[in-house]
Amino acid sequence: MSASIEIIFAVMVVSYIIAKSLKISTELSMFFAAIAGGLVGGVGIPARHIAEGAFTYLDIILIFFTATFFMNLLKESGGVVYVVRGIIQKFSRKKSILFVLITFLLLLPGALTGAGSVTVLITGGMIAVVLGYMGLSKPKTAAIIFIIAGLSAAAPPVSLWAMLTAAGVNMPYVGFFLPLLIPCVVLSLLTIFILGWRGKPVDLEKALKELPEAPPQMNWIKVILPFLVFFILMLAGRIWPHSLPVIGLPLMFVVAAVVSYFLSPVRLNIFDIARNTVHQLLPLIGTLTCVGILVQIMTLTGVRGLIAITVVTLPITIVFCSLFLVLPVSEAVLMWGAAPVLGVPLVLLFNTIGLNPIVALAGMSVIWPLGDALPPTAIIGRLTKDTVEMEEPYGHMLKHCLIPAILIIIAGTLMVIFSKELGFLTLL
Amino acid sequence: MIITILYYLLTGAIAFLMICNFIRSKKWQEEVLYILVLLPFLLRLFRLK
Repeated sequence: MSASIEIIFAVMVVSYIIAKSLKISTELSMFFAAIAGGLVGGVGIPARHIAEGAFTYLDIILIFFTATFFMNLLKESGGVVYVVRGIIQKFSRKKSILFVLITFLLLLPGALTGAGSVTVLITGGMIAVVLGYMGLSKPKTAAIIFIIAGLSAAAPPVSLWAMLTAAGVNMPYVGFFLPLLIPCVVLSLLTIFILGWRGKPVDLEKALKELPEAPPQMNWIKVILPFLVFFILMLAGRIWPHSLPVIGLPLMFVVAAVVSYFLSPVRLNIFDIARNTVHQLLPLIGTLTCVGILVQIMTLTGVRGLIAITVVTLPITIVFCSLFLVLPVSEAVLMWGAAPVLGVPLVLLFNTIGLNPIVALAGMSVIWPLGDALPPTAIIGRLTKDTVEMEEPYGHMLKHCLIPAILIIIAGTLMVIFSKELGFLTLL
Repeated sequence: MIITILYYLLTGAIAFLMICNFIRSKKWQEEVLYILVLLPFLLRLFRLK
Protein backbone atom coordinates (compact mmCIF):
# COMPACT_ATOMS: atom_id res chain seq x y z
CA MET A 1 0.00 0.00 0.00
CA SER A 2 1.36 3.45 -0.82
CA ALA A 3 0.79 6.87 0.77
CA SER A 4 -0.35 9.95 -1.14
CA ILE A 5 2.32 11.77 -3.12
CA GLU A 6 2.30 14.77 -0.77
CA ILE A 7 3.04 12.46 2.20
CA ILE A 8 5.84 10.69 0.29
CA PHE A 9 7.36 14.07 -0.53
CA ALA A 10 7.06 15.19 3.11
CA VAL A 11 8.71 11.96 4.31
CA MET A 12 11.59 12.47 1.84
CA VAL A 13 12.11 16.05 3.06
CA VAL A 14 11.97 15.00 6.73
CA SER A 15 14.37 12.07 6.12
CA TYR A 16 16.80 14.43 4.44
CA ILE A 17 16.62 16.90 7.34
CA ILE A 18 17.07 14.11 9.93
CA ALA A 19 20.05 12.67 8.06
CA LYS A 20 21.66 16.11 7.79
CA SER A 21 21.07 16.81 11.48
CA LEU A 22 22.86 13.53 12.25
CA LYS A 23 25.93 14.98 10.47
CA ILE A 24 25.54 12.68 7.49
CA SER A 25 26.97 14.09 4.24
CA THR A 26 24.62 15.75 1.76
CA GLU A 27 25.15 12.96 -0.78
CA LEU A 28 24.18 10.19 1.63
CA SER A 29 21.32 12.29 3.02
CA MET A 30 19.87 12.43 -0.49
CA PHE A 31 20.30 8.67 -0.80
CA PHE A 32 18.50 8.08 2.52
CA ALA A 33 15.71 10.43 1.43
CA ALA A 34 15.34 8.36 -1.74
CA ILE A 35 15.20 5.09 0.22
CA ALA A 36 12.63 6.56 2.65
CA GLY A 37 10.55 7.78 -0.30
CA GLY A 38 10.65 4.30 -1.84
CA LEU A 39 9.59 2.62 1.41
CA VAL A 40 6.69 5.02 2.05
CA GLY A 41 5.73 4.97 -1.62
CA GLY A 42 5.12 1.22 -1.41
CA VAL A 43 7.95 0.15 -3.72
CA GLY A 44 10.28 -1.03 -0.94
CA ILE A 45 13.97 -0.70 -1.75
CA PRO A 46 13.82 -0.88 -5.54
CA ALA A 47 17.26 -2.24 -6.50
CA ARG A 48 16.58 -1.92 -10.23
CA HIS A 49 15.66 1.75 -9.91
CA ILE A 50 18.63 2.47 -7.65
CA ALA A 51 20.95 0.99 -10.28
CA GLU A 52 19.07 2.83 -13.04
CA GLY A 53 19.33 6.15 -11.15
CA ALA A 54 23.01 5.65 -10.36
CA PHE A 55 23.63 5.35 -14.11
CA THR A 56 21.91 8.62 -15.03
CA TYR A 57 25.02 10.81 -14.97
CA LEU A 58 27.74 8.25 -15.73
CA ASP A 59 28.81 10.16 -18.86
CA ILE A 60 29.10 13.40 -16.88
CA ILE A 61 31.11 11.61 -14.18
CA LEU A 62 33.56 10.43 -16.85
CA ILE A 63 33.98 14.01 -18.10
CA PHE A 64 34.43 15.18 -14.55
CA PHE A 65 37.14 12.67 -13.75
CA THR A 66 39.13 13.01 -16.98
CA ALA A 67 39.02 16.83 -16.96
CA THR A 68 40.12 17.08 -13.34
CA PHE A 69 42.83 14.48 -13.91
CA PHE A 70 44.15 16.57 -16.80
CA MET A 71 44.14 19.74 -14.68
CA ASN A 72 45.84 17.92 -11.79
CA LEU A 73 48.58 16.63 -14.12
CA LEU A 74 49.14 20.17 -15.32
CA LYS A 75 49.34 21.42 -11.75
CA GLU A 76 51.74 18.67 -10.64
CA SER A 77 53.99 19.22 -13.65
CA GLY A 78 54.42 22.84 -12.54
CA GLY A 79 52.44 24.28 -15.47
CA VAL A 80 49.95 26.23 -13.35
CA VAL A 81 52.55 27.85 -11.11
CA TYR A 82 54.65 28.66 -14.19
CA VAL A 83 51.73 30.57 -15.71
CA VAL A 84 50.90 32.42 -12.47
CA ARG A 85 54.53 33.47 -11.92
CA GLY A 86 54.89 34.45 -15.58
CA ILE A 87 51.80 36.64 -15.46
CA ILE A 88 52.68 38.53 -12.29
CA GLN A 89 56.30 39.02 -13.40
CA LYS A 90 55.09 40.63 -16.60
CA PHE A 91 52.04 42.56 -15.43
CA SER A 92 52.59 43.28 -11.72
CA ARG A 93 52.37 47.04 -12.39
CA LYS A 94 49.44 46.84 -14.85
CA LYS A 95 46.47 46.12 -12.61
CA SER A 96 43.80 45.98 -15.32
CA ILE A 97 45.68 43.47 -17.48
CA LEU A 98 46.58 41.45 -14.39
CA PHE A 99 42.90 41.29 -13.37
CA VAL A 100 41.84 40.12 -16.83
CA LEU A 101 44.50 37.39 -16.84
CA ILE A 102 43.68 36.31 -13.27
CA THR A 103 40.01 36.04 -14.29
CA PHE A 104 40.98 33.86 -17.23
CA LEU A 105 43.15 31.65 -14.97
CA LEU A 106 40.28 31.25 -12.50
CA LEU A 107 37.68 30.57 -15.18
CA LEU A 108 39.61 27.93 -17.12
CA PRO A 109 39.72 24.93 -14.71
CA GLY A 110 36.05 25.21 -13.75
CA ALA A 111 34.93 25.79 -17.33
CA LEU A 112 36.73 22.65 -18.51
CA THR A 113 35.68 20.44 -15.60
CA GLY A 114 32.29 21.88 -14.65
CA ALA A 115 33.27 22.11 -10.97
CA GLY A 116 33.97 25.30 -9.08
CA SER A 117 35.86 23.31 -6.46
CA VAL A 118 38.45 22.36 -9.09
CA THR A 119 39.06 26.06 -9.78
CA VAL A 120 39.53 26.70 -6.06
CA LEU A 121 41.91 23.74 -5.69
CA ILE A 122 43.96 24.21 -8.86
CA THR A 123 44.41 27.97 -9.14
CA GLY A 124 42.57 29.45 -6.12
CA GLY A 125 45.45 29.17 -3.64
CA MET A 126 48.02 30.75 -5.94
CA ILE A 127 45.72 33.57 -7.03
CA ALA A 128 44.97 34.24 -3.34
CA VAL A 129 48.69 34.84 -2.79
CA VAL A 130 48.81 37.33 -5.67
CA LEU A 131 45.67 39.18 -4.51
CA GLY A 132 47.00 39.21 -0.94
CA TYR A 133 50.15 41.01 -2.12
CA MET A 134 47.93 43.57 -3.83
CA GLY A 135 46.70 44.54 -0.37
CA LEU A 136 43.27 42.91 -0.60
CA SER A 137 41.86 41.51 2.63
CA LYS A 138 41.37 37.73 2.97
CA PRO A 139 37.54 37.93 2.98
CA LYS A 140 37.62 40.07 -0.18
CA THR A 141 40.10 37.67 -1.83
CA ALA A 142 37.92 34.70 -0.83
CA ALA A 143 34.84 36.44 -2.24
CA ILE A 144 36.57 37.07 -5.59
CA ILE A 145 37.75 33.46 -5.83
CA PHE A 146 34.40 32.02 -4.74
CA ILE A 147 32.28 34.09 -7.15
CA ILE A 148 34.56 33.46 -10.14
CA ALA A 149 34.87 29.76 -9.24
CA GLY A 150 31.07 29.54 -9.26
CA LEU A 151 30.85 31.29 -12.61
CA SER A 152 33.63 29.08 -13.98
CA ALA A 153 31.49 26.04 -13.16
CA ALA A 154 28.63 27.56 -15.14
CA ALA A 155 30.90 28.54 -18.04
CA PRO A 156 31.16 26.38 -21.19
CA PRO A 157 32.13 23.85 -22.45
CA VAL A 158 31.04 21.88 -19.34
CA SER A 159 28.19 23.44 -17.38
CA LEU A 160 26.66 20.72 -15.23
CA TRP A 161 23.46 22.62 -14.38
CA ALA A 162 22.75 23.17 -18.07
CA MET A 163 23.77 19.60 -18.97
CA LEU A 164 21.65 17.96 -16.24
CA THR A 165 18.58 20.05 -17.01
CA ALA A 166 18.98 19.62 -20.77
CA ALA A 167 19.24 15.85 -20.26
CA GLY A 168 16.06 15.95 -18.15
CA VAL A 169 14.00 17.63 -20.88
CA ASN A 170 15.54 15.58 -23.71
CA MET A 171 17.14 18.70 -25.17
CA PRO A 172 20.58 18.32 -26.82
CA TYR A 173 23.36 20.23 -25.07
CA VAL A 174 23.84 22.43 -28.14
CA GLY A 175 23.73 26.22 -28.53
CA PHE A 176 24.80 26.94 -24.95
CA PHE A 177 28.33 28.17 -25.68
CA LEU A 178 27.73 31.91 -26.11
CA PRO A 179 24.71 32.22 -23.76
CA LEU A 180 26.91 30.79 -21.00
CA LEU A 181 30.27 32.28 -21.98
CA ILE A 182 29.25 35.94 -22.29
CA PRO A 183 27.57 36.38 -18.87
CA CYS A 184 30.22 34.29 -17.09
CA VAL A 185 33.14 36.29 -18.51
CA VAL A 186 31.45 39.69 -18.10
CA LEU A 187 30.27 39.00 -14.54
CA SER A 188 33.66 37.56 -13.53
CA LEU A 189 35.43 40.67 -14.80
CA LEU A 190 32.92 42.91 -13.03
CA THR A 191 33.48 40.96 -9.80
CA ILE A 192 37.26 41.24 -9.81
CA PHE A 193 37.24 44.90 -10.85
CA ILE A 194 34.59 45.88 -8.26
CA LEU A 195 36.12 43.97 -5.36
CA GLY A 196 39.76 44.42 -6.31
CA TRP A 197 39.73 48.00 -7.56
CA ARG A 198 41.38 49.41 -4.46
CA GLY A 199 44.21 46.87 -4.67
CA LYS A 200 47.76 48.20 -5.01
CA PRO A 201 50.26 46.94 -7.61
CA VAL A 202 51.64 43.51 -6.65
CA ASP A 203 54.64 43.42 -4.33
CA LEU A 204 56.53 41.30 -6.84
CA GLU A 205 59.46 40.24 -4.70
CA LYS A 206 57.36 39.02 -1.80
CA ALA A 207 54.77 37.34 -4.03
CA LEU A 208 57.40 35.40 -6.00
CA LYS A 209 59.04 34.33 -2.73
CA GLU A 210 55.79 32.84 -1.42
CA LEU A 211 54.67 31.15 -4.64
CA PRO A 212 56.15 27.70 -5.31
CA GLU A 213 58.99 27.54 -7.84
CA ALA A 214 58.22 26.28 -11.36
CA PRO A 215 60.50 23.53 -12.74
CA PRO A 216 63.37 25.16 -14.71
CA GLN A 217 62.59 23.21 -17.90
CA MET A 218 58.96 24.33 -17.98
CA ASN A 219 57.98 26.72 -20.77
CA TRP A 220 54.87 28.21 -22.40
CA ILE A 221 54.78 25.61 -25.18
CA LYS A 222 54.62 22.78 -22.64
CA VAL A 223 51.69 24.51 -20.93
CA ILE A 224 49.76 25.52 -24.02
CA LEU A 225 50.23 22.41 -26.18
CA PRO A 226 47.88 20.09 -24.17
CA PHE A 227 45.14 22.76 -24.33
CA LEU A 228 45.78 23.23 -28.02
CA VAL A 229 45.39 19.49 -28.63
CA PHE A 230 42.15 19.49 -26.64
CA PHE A 231 40.68 22.44 -28.56
CA ILE A 232 41.79 21.02 -31.92
CA LEU A 233 40.03 17.74 -31.10
CA MET A 234 36.92 19.65 -30.04
CA LEU A 235 36.88 21.90 -33.11
CA ALA A 236 37.78 19.11 -35.53
CA GLY A 237 34.66 17.20 -34.56
CA ARG A 238 32.56 20.27 -35.34
CA ILE A 239 34.33 21.23 -38.56
CA TRP A 240 34.38 17.70 -40.05
CA PRO A 241 31.44 15.99 -38.30
CA HIS A 242 31.08 13.33 -41.03
CA SER A 243 34.75 12.50 -41.50
CA LEU A 244 35.87 12.09 -37.89
CA PRO A 245 34.59 9.64 -35.30
CA VAL A 246 32.85 11.09 -32.24
CA ILE A 247 35.34 10.46 -29.46
CA GLY A 248 33.53 12.44 -26.75
CA LEU A 249 34.82 14.90 -24.15
CA PRO A 250 36.26 12.24 -21.76
CA LEU A 251 38.62 10.83 -24.39
CA MET A 252 39.58 14.35 -25.52
CA PHE A 253 40.62 15.12 -21.95
CA VAL A 254 42.52 11.81 -21.77
CA VAL A 255 44.47 12.71 -24.93
CA ALA A 256 45.24 16.18 -23.47
CA ALA A 257 46.32 14.51 -20.22
CA VAL A 258 48.64 12.13 -22.10
CA VAL A 259 50.23 15.09 -23.93
CA SER A 260 50.61 16.94 -20.63
CA TYR A 261 52.21 13.87 -19.03
CA PHE A 262 54.80 13.43 -21.79
CA LEU A 263 55.64 17.15 -21.82
CA SER A 264 56.04 17.39 -18.07
CA PRO A 265 59.58 18.41 -17.06
CA VAL A 266 59.20 16.54 -13.76
CA ARG A 267 58.56 12.85 -13.32
CA LEU A 268 54.87 12.39 -12.44
CA ASN A 269 53.45 9.54 -10.40
CA ILE A 270 50.43 8.98 -12.59
CA PHE A 271 48.82 6.39 -10.29
CA ASP A 272 48.98 8.63 -7.23
CA ILE A 273 47.64 11.64 -9.14
CA ALA A 274 44.75 9.54 -10.54
CA ARG A 275 43.95 8.08 -7.11
CA ASN A 276 44.02 11.54 -5.52
CA THR A 277 41.78 12.82 -8.29
CA VAL A 278 39.18 10.15 -7.49
CA HIS A 279 39.44 11.01 -3.78
CA GLN A 280 39.20 14.74 -4.48
CA LEU A 281 36.13 14.21 -6.66
CA LEU A 282 34.32 11.72 -4.40
CA PRO A 283 31.86 14.27 -2.93
CA LEU A 284 31.07 15.60 -6.39
CA ILE A 285 30.79 12.21 -8.12
CA GLY A 286 28.83 10.97 -5.10
CA THR A 287 26.42 13.88 -5.45
CA LEU A 288 25.81 13.10 -9.10
CA THR A 289 25.21 9.41 -8.37
CA CYS A 290 22.90 10.08 -5.40
CA VAL A 291 21.03 12.81 -7.26
CA GLY A 292 20.42 10.31 -10.07
CA ILE A 293 19.03 7.80 -7.56
CA LEU A 294 16.92 10.47 -5.82
CA VAL A 295 15.43 11.74 -9.07
CA GLN A 296 14.70 8.16 -10.21
CA ILE A 297 12.84 7.36 -6.96
CA MET A 298 11.04 10.73 -7.10
CA THR A 299 9.88 9.85 -10.61
CA LEU A 300 8.89 6.34 -9.56
CA THR A 301 6.77 7.55 -6.63
CA GLY A 302 5.24 10.53 -8.45
CA VAL A 303 6.98 13.19 -6.34
CA ARG A 304 8.83 14.60 -9.33
CA GLY A 305 5.53 14.95 -11.18
CA LEU A 306 4.04 16.74 -8.18
CA ILE A 307 6.90 19.27 -8.12
CA ALA A 308 6.72 19.70 -11.90
CA ILE A 309 2.95 20.30 -11.90
CA THR A 310 3.22 22.74 -8.98
CA VAL A 311 5.97 24.69 -10.72
CA VAL A 312 4.33 24.87 -14.16
CA THR A 313 1.00 26.01 -12.74
CA LEU A 314 2.51 28.94 -10.79
CA PRO A 315 1.88 32.47 -12.15
CA ILE A 316 4.86 33.34 -14.33
CA THR A 317 5.50 36.66 -12.54
CA ILE A 318 5.95 34.78 -9.28
CA VAL A 319 8.37 32.39 -11.00
CA PHE A 320 10.46 35.26 -12.40
CA CYS A 321 10.46 37.16 -9.11
CA SER A 322 11.40 34.14 -7.02
CA LEU A 323 14.26 32.84 -9.20
CA PHE A 324 16.81 34.86 -7.20
CA LEU A 325 15.83 32.95 -4.05
CA VAL A 326 14.65 29.55 -5.27
CA LEU A 327 17.68 28.73 -7.41
CA PRO A 328 20.46 29.43 -4.86
CA VAL A 329 18.47 27.83 -2.02
CA SER A 330 17.76 24.69 -4.09
CA GLU A 331 21.47 24.52 -4.93
CA ALA A 332 22.36 24.87 -1.24
CA VAL A 333 20.09 21.95 -0.34
CA LEU A 334 20.39 19.58 -3.32
CA MET A 335 23.57 20.84 -5.02
CA TRP A 336 23.36 19.71 -8.66
CA GLY A 337 20.18 17.84 -7.80
CA ALA A 338 18.45 21.20 -8.10
CA ALA A 339 18.90 21.09 -11.87
CA PRO A 340 16.92 17.89 -12.61
CA VAL A 341 14.40 18.45 -9.81
CA LEU A 342 13.61 22.17 -10.30
CA GLY A 343 15.37 23.10 -13.52
CA VAL A 344 13.48 20.62 -15.68
CA PRO A 345 9.93 21.84 -14.85
CA LEU A 346 11.09 25.47 -15.06
CA VAL A 347 12.57 24.97 -18.53
CA LEU A 348 9.40 23.17 -19.64
CA LEU A 349 7.36 26.10 -18.31
CA PHE A 350 9.53 28.67 -20.09
CA ASN A 351 9.35 26.68 -23.30
CA THR A 352 5.54 26.47 -23.03
CA ILE A 353 5.15 30.25 -22.73
CA GLY A 354 7.35 30.85 -25.76
CA LEU A 355 10.66 31.76 -24.15
CA ASN A 356 13.94 30.44 -25.52
CA PRO A 357 14.73 27.40 -23.34
CA ILE A 358 18.47 27.48 -24.08
CA VAL A 359 19.04 31.12 -23.10
CA ALA A 360 16.62 30.83 -20.15
CA LEU A 361 18.50 27.76 -18.90
CA ALA A 362 21.82 29.57 -19.35
CA GLY A 363 20.44 32.45 -17.27
CA MET A 364 19.41 30.05 -14.50
CA SER A 365 22.79 28.28 -14.68
CA VAL A 366 24.52 31.57 -13.90
CA ILE A 367 22.40 32.07 -10.74
CA TRP A 368 22.61 28.50 -9.38
CA PRO A 369 26.30 28.56 -8.28
CA LEU A 370 25.53 31.32 -5.74
CA GLY A 371 23.91 28.63 -3.60
CA ASP A 372 27.32 27.00 -3.11
CA ALA A 373 28.04 29.62 -0.43
CA LEU A 374 24.87 28.91 1.54
CA PRO A 375 24.29 26.37 4.31
CA PRO A 376 23.60 23.45 4.75
CA THR A 377 26.17 22.42 2.11
CA ALA A 378 28.26 25.54 1.31
CA ILE A 379 30.94 23.16 0.01
CA ILE A 380 32.70 25.60 -2.31
CA GLY A 381 32.28 28.52 0.09
CA ARG A 382 33.95 26.60 2.90
CA LEU A 383 36.59 25.20 0.57
CA THR A 384 37.45 28.73 -0.59
CA LYS A 385 37.68 29.98 3.00
CA ASP A 386 40.14 27.17 3.81
CA THR A 387 42.17 27.59 0.62
CA VAL A 388 42.59 31.33 1.18
CA GLU A 389 43.41 30.61 4.86
CA MET A 390 40.86 33.16 5.98
CA GLU A 391 40.62 33.44 9.75
CA GLU A 392 37.74 35.93 9.86
CA PRO A 393 34.17 34.59 10.28
CA TYR A 394 32.57 33.07 7.17
CA GLY A 395 29.99 35.89 7.11
CA HIS A 396 32.72 38.40 6.19
CA MET A 397 33.26 36.62 2.90
CA LEU A 398 29.51 36.51 2.25
CA LYS A 399 29.28 40.28 2.86
CA HIS A 400 31.80 40.94 0.08
CA CYS A 401 29.93 38.50 -2.20
CA LEU A 402 26.75 40.58 -1.95
CA ILE A 403 27.30 43.14 -4.75
CA PRO A 404 28.56 40.60 -7.32
CA ALA A 405 25.71 38.26 -6.29
CA ILE A 406 23.11 40.98 -6.93
CA LEU A 407 24.64 41.66 -10.35
CA ILE A 408 24.61 37.94 -11.16
CA ILE A 409 20.98 37.59 -10.08
CA ILE A 410 19.92 40.60 -12.15
CA ALA A 411 21.84 39.37 -15.22
CA GLY A 412 20.51 35.80 -14.89
CA THR A 413 16.90 36.86 -14.34
CA LEU A 414 17.02 39.30 -17.27
CA MET A 415 18.43 36.51 -19.45
CA VAL A 416 15.43 34.37 -18.54
CA ILE A 417 12.86 37.16 -19.10
CA PHE A 418 14.40 38.32 -22.39
CA SER A 419 15.53 34.87 -23.55
CA LYS A 420 13.43 35.08 -26.70
CA GLU A 421 15.10 38.34 -27.74
CA LEU A 422 18.52 36.87 -26.89
CA GLY A 423 17.85 33.71 -28.90
CA PHE A 424 20.37 34.77 -31.56
CA LEU A 425 23.17 33.90 -29.09
CA THR A 426 22.48 30.20 -29.56
CA LEU A 427 23.55 30.47 -33.24
CA LEU A 428 20.88 27.87 -34.10
CA MET B 1 34.69 -0.29 -31.88
CA ILE B 2 38.10 1.09 -30.81
CA ILE B 3 36.42 4.02 -29.07
CA THR B 4 34.06 1.66 -27.23
CA ILE B 5 37.04 -0.40 -26.03
CA LEU B 6 38.82 2.76 -24.90
CA TYR B 7 35.76 3.78 -22.88
CA TYR B 8 35.62 0.33 -21.27
CA LEU B 9 39.30 0.70 -20.35
CA LEU B 10 38.65 4.15 -18.90
CA THR B 11 35.69 2.84 -16.90
CA GLY B 12 37.78 -0.09 -15.66
CA ALA B 13 40.65 2.21 -14.64
CA ILE B 14 38.37 4.53 -12.67
CA ALA B 15 36.65 1.54 -11.00
CA PHE B 16 40.07 0.16 -10.03
CA LEU B 17 41.09 3.51 -8.51
CA MET B 18 37.83 3.67 -6.57
CA ILE B 19 38.38 0.17 -5.19
CA CYS B 20 41.93 1.18 -4.12
CA ASN B 21 40.57 4.25 -2.33
CA PHE B 22 37.71 2.23 -0.83
CA ILE B 23 40.17 -0.24 0.72
CA ARG B 24 42.27 2.58 2.20
CA SER B 25 39.30 4.58 3.47
CA LYS B 26 38.70 4.63 7.22
CA LYS B 27 35.44 6.65 7.29
CA TRP B 28 32.16 4.76 7.00
CA GLN B 29 30.40 7.53 5.08
CA GLU B 30 33.17 7.58 2.51
CA GLU B 31 33.04 3.79 2.18
CA VAL B 32 29.27 3.78 1.59
CA LEU B 33 29.68 6.53 -0.98
CA TYR B 34 32.42 4.60 -2.79
CA ILE B 35 30.12 1.58 -3.02
CA LEU B 36 27.29 3.67 -4.45
CA VAL B 37 29.57 5.41 -6.92
CA LEU B 38 31.16 2.11 -7.96
CA LEU B 39 27.79 0.57 -8.80
CA PRO B 40 27.32 2.00 -12.32
CA PHE B 41 30.99 1.44 -13.18
CA LEU B 42 30.87 -2.26 -12.26
CA LEU B 43 27.53 -2.82 -13.98
CA ARG B 44 28.92 -1.27 -17.15
CA LEU B 45 32.18 -3.23 -16.94
CA PHE B 46 30.36 -6.54 -16.51
CA ARG B 47 28.03 -5.53 -19.31
CA LEU B 48 24.99 -5.94 -17.08
CA LYS B 49 23.77 -2.52 -18.18
